[in-house]
Amino acid sequence: MFSTAASAKAVSFLAGPLSTQTAGMATLKEIQIRRRSVQNIGKITKSMKMIASTKVPKAQKIMESARVYGAASNGLFQHAQTDFADSKKPLVIAISSDRGLCGGIHSSVSKAMKADLRKNPESTVVVLGQKVKIQLSREYRDNIALHFEQVAKTIPTWDETAAIADIILEKAKEEGVDSAKIFYNKFKTIIAFETTSIPTFTLEALEASPKLSTYEYDDGVLANFAQFAFANTLYWAVAEGNASEMAAKRTAMENATKNAGEVIAKLTLTFNRTRQAAITNELIDIIVGASAM
Amino acid sequence: MTFWKDAGFSYLKYVQVASRALRSVLKEEAKVQALKREDTVLKVSRWANGKQGELKFVDPKNQH
Repeated sequence: MFSTAASAKAVSFLAGPLSTQTAGMATLKEIQIRRRSVQNIGKITKSMKMIASTKVPKAQKIMESARVYGAASNGLFQHAQTDFADSKKPLVIAISSDRGLCGGIHSSVSKAMKADLRKNPESTVVVLGQKVKIQLSREYRDNIALHFEQVAKTIPTWDETAAIADIILEKAKEEGVDSAKIFYNKFKTIIAFETTSIPTFTLEALEASPKLSTYEYDDGVLANFAQFAFANTLYWAVAEGNASEMAAKRTAMENATKNAGEVIAKLTLTFNRTRQAAITNELIDIIVGASAM
Repeated sequence: MTFWKDAGFSYLKYVQVASRALRSVLKEEAKVQALKREDTVLKVSRWANGKQGELKFVDPKNQH
């Protein structure tokens, strides 16, 4: 086996174009190392994509049932034509999670929140999920009142969301909040999501609804209903956000795997070309050496 | 009807306590399914003046 170092020295005083071969030969090992590491990355992203694809249908099912509850309780607000008066103390809630590697999910919510905060800089902010909290705490630290972590760690549950809703309602009462908006990622298709906001209404707004008199109700029921509706809407937003996140993660990992495949193909070509150049150079040495004898 | 309200519970807390009670009396297989819905590792942090407060575990059993 010819020593590549010896051939490198022999070739080094050949001119111009062949001098790049020297550099090529020396990095044959490097190319191999790089190719192997990209291959490993490709395997990891492929398995992450598999995991995410199995989670998507489950998340979608939860989202469908959450939609029914959310739509039902919001139906009352629509029929009663509840609306915000000029809100002096608005509350904005951001739905995200602690998990990364899921595409533009979290930045999308942050962007929407920031746009809203620019219009209403006095709003109180509540964040569900570490990712958006990190992004918002750069500019809007002073607005944040609460943040939650480990939301929907396995799946979103109404129970957990009700606990969150309860804490938010307590805080909202402390701060004298009179309107609330939830920013979340609405699941459109498995490859598309849309960041939207949905309003939720305080008890006062509900009581002031123009068409509320068309409903018959006992004392105290409205207060309970306002809380229940808030928990439903929050659960709906968390469930949709969860489904969007799983779908976006799947897409992101699919793209990553595809890109890894392309990089591997390119590196393989470079490796082969470099290897062939090294062999050609050694052949030249032999022939030149032989013809000199 | 409103004994829980007089005791200072919000409607959501009342519903959570009632659901826990229901889940704990279910029969075996339904109980296993239902207990999965109780799993929570939720943490909350209260902020003041732009400073993050301590992250506290939200214990579903200790509601008040």
